[in-house]
Amino acid sequence: MNSPRESGKGLGLPLLVQLLEILVFLTAFADNRAAHPTWQSCGAFPPSGQKGSPLAQPRSRVTGFRVFSPPIPFPAVPPLFSVGPGVLQAGQKGEAAQMLSSMAATGSLKAALQVAEVLEAIVSCCMGPEGRQVLCTKPTGEVLLSRNGGRLLEALHLQHPIARMIVDCVSSHLKKTGDGAKTFIIFLCHLLRGLHAVTDREKDPLMCENIQTHGRHWKNCCQWKFISQALVTFQTQILDGIMDQYLSRHFLSIFSSAKERTLCRSSLELLLEAYFCGRVGKNNHKFISQLMCDYFFKCMTCKTGIDVFELVDDYFVELNVGVTGLPVSDSRIIAGLVLQKDFSVYCPADGDIRMVIVTETIQPLFSTSGSEFILNSEAQFQTSQFWIMEKTKAIMKHLRSQNVKLLLSSVKQPDLVIYYAGVNGISVVECLSSEEVSLIRRIIGLSPFVPPQAFSQCEISNTALVKFCKPLILRSKRYVHLGLIGTCTFIPHCVVLCGPVQGLIEQHEDALHGAFKMLRQLFKDLDLNYMTQTSDQNGTSSLFIYKNSGESYQAPDTGKGSIQRPYQDTVVENKDELEKTQTYLKVHSNLVISDVELETYIPYSTPTDTFETDETLKCLSLERNMLTDDYEPLLKNNSTAYSTRGNNRIDISYENLQVTNITGKGSMLPVSCKLQNMGDSQSYLSSSMPAGCVLPVGGNFEILLHYYLLNYAKKCHQSEETMVSMIIANALLGIPRVLYKSKTGKYSFPHIYIRAVHALQTNQPLVSSQTGLESVTGKYQLLTSVLQCLTKILTIDLVITVKRHPQKVHNQDSEDEL
Amino acid sequence: MSRLEAKKPSLCKSEPLTSETVRTTLSVLKRIVTSCYGPSGRLKQLHNGFGGYVCTTSQSSALLSHLLVTHPILKILTTSVQNHVSSFSDCGLFTAILCCNLIENVQRLGLTPTTVIRLNKHLLSLCISYLKSETCGCRIPVDFSSTQILLCLVRSILTSKPACMLTRKETEHVSALILRAFLLTIPENAEGHIILGKSLIVPLKDQRVIDSTVLPGILIEMSEVQLMRLLPIKKSTALKVALFCTTLSGDISDTGEGTVVVSYGVSLENAVLDQLLNLGRQLVSDHVDLVLCQKVIHPSLKQFLNMHRVIAVDRIGVTLMEPLTKMTGTQPIGSLGSISPNSYGSVKDVCTAKFGSKHFFHLIPNEATICSLLLCNRNDTAWDELKLTCQTALHILQLTLKEPWALLGGGCTETHLAAYIRHKTHNDPKSILKDDECTQTELQLIAEAFCSALESVVGSLEHDGGEILTDMKYGHLWSVQADSPCVANWPDLLSHCGCGLYNSQEELSWSFLRSTRHPFVPQICLPLEAVGSASNLTLDCLTAKLSGLQVAVETANLILDLSYVIEDKN
Repeated sequence: MNSPRESGKGLGLPLLVQLLEILVFLTAFADNRAAHPTWQSCGAFPPSGQKGSPLAQPRSRVTGFRVFSPPIPFPAVPPLFSVGPGVLQAGQKGEAAQMLSSMAATGSLKAALQVAEVLEAIVSCCMGPEGRQVLCTKPTGEVLLSRNGGRLLEALHLQHPIARMIVDCVSSHLKKTGDGAKTFIIFLCHLLRGLHAVTDREKDPLMCENIQTHGRHWKNCCQWKFISQALVTFQTQILDGIMDQYLSRHFLSIFSSAKERTLCRSSLELLLEAYFCGRVGKNNHKFISQLMCDYFFKCMTCKTGIDVFELVDDYFVELNVGVTGLPVSDSRIIAGLVLQKDFSVYCPADGDIRMVIVTETIQPLFSTSGSEFILNSEAQFQTSQFWIMEKTKAIMKHLRSQNVKLLLSSVKQPDLVIYYAGVNGISVVECLSSEEVSLIRRIIGLSPFVPPQAFSQCEISNTALVKFCKPLILRSKRYVHLGLIGTCTFIPHCVVLCGPVQGLIEQHEDALHGAFKMLRQLFKDLDLNYMTQTSDQNGTSSLFIYKNSGESYQAPDTGKGSIQRPYQDTVVENKDELEKTQTYLKVHSNLVISDVELETYIPYSTPTDTFETDETLKCLSLERNMLTDDYEPLLKNNSTAYSTRGNNRIDISYENLQVTNITGKGSMLPVSCKLQNMGDSQSYLSSSMPAGCVLPVGGNFEILLHYYLLNYAKKCHQSEETMVSMIIANALLGIPRVLYKSKTGKYSFPHIYIRAVHALQTNQPLVSSQTGLESVTGKYQLLTSVLQCLTKILTIDLVITVKRHPQKVHNQDSEDEL
Repeated sequence: MSRLEAKKPSLCKSEPLTSETVRTTLSVLKRIVTSCYGPSGRLKQLHNGFGGYVCTTSQSSALLSHLLVTHPILKILTTSVQNHVSSFSDCGLFTAILCCNLIENVQRLGLTPTTVIRLNKHLLSLCISYLKSETCGCRIPVDFSSTQILLCLVRSILTSKPACMLTRKETEHVSALILRAFLLTIPENAEGHIILGKSLIVPLKDQRVIDSTVLPGILIEMSEVQLMRLLPIKKSTALKVALFCTTLSGDISDTGEGTVVVSYGVSLENAVLDQLLNLGRQLVSDHVDLVLCQKVIHPSLKQFLNMHRVIAVDRIGVTLMEPLTKMTGTQPIGSLGSISPNSYGSVKDVCTAKFGSKHFFHLIPNEATICSLLLCNRNDTAWDELKLTCQTALHILQLTLKEPWALLGGGCTETHLAAYIRHKTHNDPKSILKDDECTQTELQLIAEAFCSALESVVGSLEHDGGEILTDMKYGHLWSVQADSPCVANWPDLLSHCGCGLYNSQEELSWSFLRSTRHPFVPQICLPLEAVGSASNLTLDCLTAKLSGLQVAVETANLILDLSYVIEDKN
């Protein structure tokens, strides 16, 4: 990326003018926001008529590219507001450069905050049980009702680059989890607000001192990068620990017995009701959640595997039928599969019905592609036609003799086939979509029937038994209703969704699909997932965790309940290092440790250190020196206080070293931390978050995490860790605040919050005012997604709009070749 | 490379219902639909300003399908009404008016949407459970052993569509025809699963309505010349019919993806024609009397068949195929080769018929579940309206067959229901609220809004400045002429209530519909003898009305729940 200084020189006036436009936009925007309740925005931004909104289509200008606002703090450049663009002269270049620097100074934070606030305003109105509907129109003129955050964000067609980035993050999160788009935006907005407040407070006096220097920009960039790294550290190291150590004792399980994973209906009902509360209209959510519950229990066998969720998720479109013009309460579940087609021929049949699937026409044709058929005489033509007819007839007769009474075809069959099917009492359904065919094949494990080339009386192996096959009439439209006998754990059922308008049906369909996604995540073998996650992501996580466990060891002294949560943390940066440690430990052999024991850790170790530059090695060696310096007292400590402990481990993380380098605070603090760590990192037991973890709804997760994060922050020694934890902890409260927005008195947010904190302090169980459960996994994933998104935002220092699509390098090459 | 255009940002509006334009457009729509409602409703003429087709109507289906609404909220409303009409045919205007009224009434209250929606839902379920209950005072059982109630049902539908332009005598005639057509579609010996036949409506414009008639079987329209060419068949037994769905014109069917090379001098046309003639020979030897083809029959084959005294009729079209299959019991033949003898069907007789200026080939079935309703009306627009009305009536009869109940029409059900809800919410609010967070005051407010919405639906039955009253015993509707002299003697001014069940000679007390009233208990449990004696009742279909009620409340709830409208401007 070009350095902004260079680009500032190169751009000159056009850039300045555009920056002015940005300013105009920002003021307009601020005005709009002041009059919040009634403002109407254009794609969440000022009406398109507004002059030079950077969010609108870039207007054609002389410049090849255009700098988007990493926004300018208003107080920094007050005189520019009074100057219209026409008045501005070319001589004011210097000012532009100055602006650029101050603009870059705040990074993309402010822009992101403004974007997020607008999105929050829209999203928060459909959040939670009190949320309302949003009506979206499609360009085709259809209307869609939605409370689905993802859909809304997409429907807005945002143009601001940061907004688009946020939307991208949300949709990738949704694709995975199917839930939490609205919470995502609200949480992100609060995080940005928190960060903004913190930086404002900290940096304002500083900014006054040396506002002119270009170097500031880079300093700030460093600062943002620094914060974003702290966020990454938090997400990868601290969050898991807190979840596991503190939060996990509040978790409930959706399963009535954890071992067999049996699911009782009432808890699933609670979970689904809470889910649909936020996704469908108030008057329908109970009904829809009951419907979903019924569907779930009808489809699933006792050996419900994850594959069933995958199947339903993948083929949800084929598994439901929408019927407009009927009240929602007419929606129901039908056993078997409903194909949205009518029979080409229907022959009522009962008893032993077998079916075949074909993917090509049964009638042989004169010529296949690539071949030539030469007709030499009329008689030849007639005989071949006769042969075709006889052949078709014979195939259909053969099918009949095999008791095949249903023919599903993915292509249109000729009249002849249809006729002989009718004559032989075989019902035919034509033109099935490839998804329908593959769904049927997955349910019953049937491969397509290929008409035999040489006719034989052999048995057709590719048939399947069907319980029934009959027409189904829904609101005077005919469908094919098949009673498939599933060979997998999925018992085929279809949902018939009714509603007065198509838009409402689509909303319900969407919500049901999302619910399956959510359940799919909830039922995942999370313990495994979690473990691999920690070993993958926590490349540098040992630092925190050990320290953390150190804290928990202090706890018993003060009389707190024992929470010796074991840690399965096995990351060793590389084997070399381990060996070094090993030898090191050998030297100090006064520890109760054997080489054998240490060896056992080697299989766990995942050498993820990919950035081993010279510098790193240097750092490592540096660190090692320091460690050796300080190791002596620790070992003493160890031998006295923790003499019964098992293993000792040393972890030297690359990233932490880098952080300390950048901050320039010297390596005193990390080292001292590490010392403590080493002393406490003795026990490794496996721990995990089992599948099916739930918490009561109503912001319980947020309040709990908030509480524990604050506690953690209090004990934390590093200032940036404290800051990040505090910001996240406070931002978390934004979610329950929205949820309880409309409540008053005893159920208002402050009351709830105080009660919860009091309960936590006195070790009493939390009492939730609302019934309903929500998935912890979903919340956890949401949290990590938001933090990742925030990191992404913070690391951007400049947005450059180019006229053309940024072309891929190899594309250009190929064009050159041409 | 294709030009990619970036999408325009969408337009996002908050609190759409508070905007003035939405209110105005909603009230315009409301005025349009209310003015159409009922037997004395005003007609709407729809045309596009460039000439061409003009539609005169007062039916919701025709009206809404021609109205182009652009605002998304109105679109929700109109599409939900249209969807209701396409599944139940009737009660479209009722649904639209009720929905508009509910939105308007509730907006005036200024309660939060959550409360409104929750209470509306409670009231709706109260209505539905009452209308479905045994004690319901406004529904009567439909007796299929006599035509009386069925005729009332059909007559009510016909009279509520003034754009059909029928006189009283014509109404009687057409309602009898519709009922006959419906009865003809019921199979005679039905056990268990009944599959209804079909009534085909055959247009016969520019004739008197009185000339309309019903015939069993199928009429195929033909030119006179064609008809003359068909030879009369003299046969005492049933005629054997072959019905082809494939073309008999001598086209060469699909030859596959590869190439077919034809040597010089080889005439495929001749080959195919040979094949066709062979087919003809087979048909003749199978003693087929009548060959019907969906597509075209080759002239040579036609002539060959004619020579052998076989009637050949082609170009029947796909719409008639299903009724023909059903009526004759054939299997549509898709093969030019050997035909299985099971594929042939039969008809009792064929004849030619002339109605007005049109000539028809009439297939008379052995057993009739298919009939043709020849419908006449003076002009195109009136005929279109009459046709729609007939379809509605036939559909309503089918729905009634499934659920043999009818509701009292003429607005009596609505006023009765409103009285019931008022009474229920006053005397037993706890049972409605149950464990909800809503207060009783909120319930009273919403119930009043709901009831007045119901009552103003029937209020719009009156278009001529008359007054609408309701009695305090049954909760039925009574209307007074606009120019009635004084209020002193109600029993003399009022003769019958809206549905015609009660007359004013009973000891009743009345009050104006629009005035505030004390809640009273409307008399439930209808006296059956009263129903038996009344011969001229106005009735509504229960199924359609129930669904209309539900759709109206659901749609109103949906619209009231909207907090943003995002319009895609692409």
